[in-house]
Amino acid sequence: MAVKISTLEERISVPAEGDNPLNTQEYFINMGPQHPATHGVLRLMLKLDGETVREVIPVLGYIHRGIEKIGEHQTYRQFVHLTDRCDYLSAMMNNWAVSLMVEKAMQTQLNDRIEYIRTIMAELERIQSHMLWWGVLGMDLGAFTPFLYGFRDREMITDIFEETIGCRLTMNYIQPGGLMDDIHPNFVKRVKDVIAYAKPKIDEYEELLSGNVIIQERLRNVGTITAEQATSLGVTGPVLRASGVALDLRRVAPYGAYGQVDFEVAVGSVGDCWDRYWVRVEEIRQSFRIIEQLIDNIPAGKTMLSKPAKKIILPEGSHYAQLETARGILGIYAVSDGKSENPVRIHMRSPNYHNVWSVDAMTRNARIGDLVANISSLDIVVPDIDR
Amino acid sequence: MGYIDTKKSTKAKVTTVGNTPINVVIAPRSPSGADSESLLTTIFKSVKSLFVGMKVTIGYLVRPSTVVTQQYPENRETLKMFDRFRGQLRLIKDENNYMNCNGCNFCEIACPNGSIVITDQRNPVNEKLELERFLWRLDSCTFCNACLQACPHDALEWSDGFEAAVYDRRLLVYTLNDYAGPPVKAINRAKKKEDRVEELLATMEPRKQYGGPVPLAGRKMPGVPALETENTKDNASPKHK
Ligand code: SF4
Ligand code: SF4
Repeated sequence: MAVKISTLEERISVPAEGDNPLNTQEYFINMGPQHPATHGVLRLMLKLDGETVREVIPVLGYIHRGIEKIGEHQTYRQFVHLTDRCDYLSAMMNNWAVSLMVEKAMQTQLNDRIEYIRTIMAELERIQSHMLWWGVLGMDLGAFTPFLYGFRDREMITDIFEETIGCRLTMNYIQPGGLMDDIHPNFVKRVKDVIAYAKPKIDEYEELLSGNVIIQERLRNVGTITAEQATSLGVTGPVLRASGVALDLRRVAPYGAYGQVDFEVAVGSVGDCWDRYWVRVEEIRQSFRIIEQLIDNIPAGKTMLSKPAKKIILPEGSHYAQLETARGILGIYAVSDGKSENPVRIHMRSPNYHNVWSVDAMTRNARIGDLVANISSLDIVVPDIDR
Repeated sequence: MGYIDTKKSTKAKVTTVGNTPINVVIAPRSPSGADSESLLTTIFKSVKSLFVGMKVTIGYLVRPSTVVTQQYPENRETLKMFDRFRGQLRLIKDENNYMNCNGCNFCEIACPNGSIVITDQRNPVNEKLELERFLWRLDSCTFCNACLQACPHDALEWSDGFEAAVYDRRLLVYTLNDYAGPPVKAINRAKKKEDRVEELLATMEPRKQYGGPVPLAGRKMPGVPALETENTKDNASPKHK
């Protein structure tokens, strides 16, 4: 397939297609980079015709920090903490992706304790990420109450992280070869408390937002993206699953302890905002199910298999590992020269980067009011787009 | 059109991706085709949903016991952080204020951001390398814990101080050691052997929190007034080399 590359100026200066009987003129509006509904410094150039969106052009780079380049000057162990700063709401999964890549390359066999704790932590992280998204979606659509509820429940989970790890957001917990610390003695009890507390809260979410007819009308048949469009755009995660493709790496290519647990993959049938909304709410439930199956039987064992002082030098060649974060498939690709501790090149296939381009396909010829719902239902974390 | 009943219409079935069978739950949609509801039912369910949602909000209004916010800074005295909380870096000291750190540099090597700078000196009494100054730059620290993990002498810990804001960014560059001199291990060894203990202890020099021959730490910058606090003055250059 030929790829047409166009500059921003070329795309802006395309003459308007006159399908409008009133022959109004198309105009451009900048949304962002400081717009609160873009969830960060994302700039969208909107080509509008009245209230109809003709094209959405995402302009990236406002929070580019060169994390991949910095990674070339750091050891793999040091690089882990930078991935926290990409998709900060799935920090632990990002850590895990790097660790998985290193462990795959070094052929490290991990014990069950490490795998179980990693899985539980990743699922907790997924829950808190989705809870935050749920609240923010409510706020984007004009209801402030869900925002407070989402944050309140998420706080319980960040407290668990803080007790075991010491940090609430950027944790640097999962390390190549194991975990930074063993779990705190209170961990199991606290997780159980959270499950007991938060499961009824999910039903409350349903009553407050999912069941609300206004929200349903704002989400249903808005921003529809078909399975074919989604796959060809490289969209992953809940956005892809909402279009009906049950691609979840936790099931398709199990890593960690996912092979030993029983859960269902939430999918949608149409691919509109409502499906994306519901898929995430259901994922919270399924994540609780996964945790419930693991939390009582964390086996004993060591939590760090490689000494921190030992150098990690990957074999010569390229190495890749991927896993499912709260937003989709995160892949870490590293090229090693086999001699030095630092990678020659490190690249991240980040889920948000691929997801953000679908906003154009969703919003074309829709109303500008639906754009915010579309962005919100994509659950974008902008630092992960730019890196 | 039609009201989506989130409880009822979920269907579970098995699909495949590649060759892997996957159990899926499918998102509920509003009833359509043969099961579609009459307009009146839809309106009734829709209006009811608004009151159900309102019930949740009002429930919290009349049950203030479920409020979870904290009154900071009023509760500053009673606020307790978790014991692993990564607040600010500090050196572990024993009851005599002797530190464990011997200036071995492992933390500096492990730090991904260059936030730690260690300067060593050679002690004239026991001829050993020891810590002269431990600089920690809070402004570039990412609280990644790598330094604690790397330290072979268990010399570092996190304090629970989270109120790190200052008015001048030069105040974010800390000297962590109170003194330049031998670590507790060297002192104990000397005490055991009864070998020039007094002389060894006399080589200790005090170090203030800010100061030293480093950029920003209490230094002057062109166009910026000098920073004078009671913590900035110490003997800026080491006596022994
Ligand atoms: S916590 Fe990390 S960034 Fe901060 S000083 Fe230690 S190693 Fe460096
Ligand atoms: S803190 Fe630990 S690692 Fe760092 S110099 Fe001191 S003894 Fe060495």
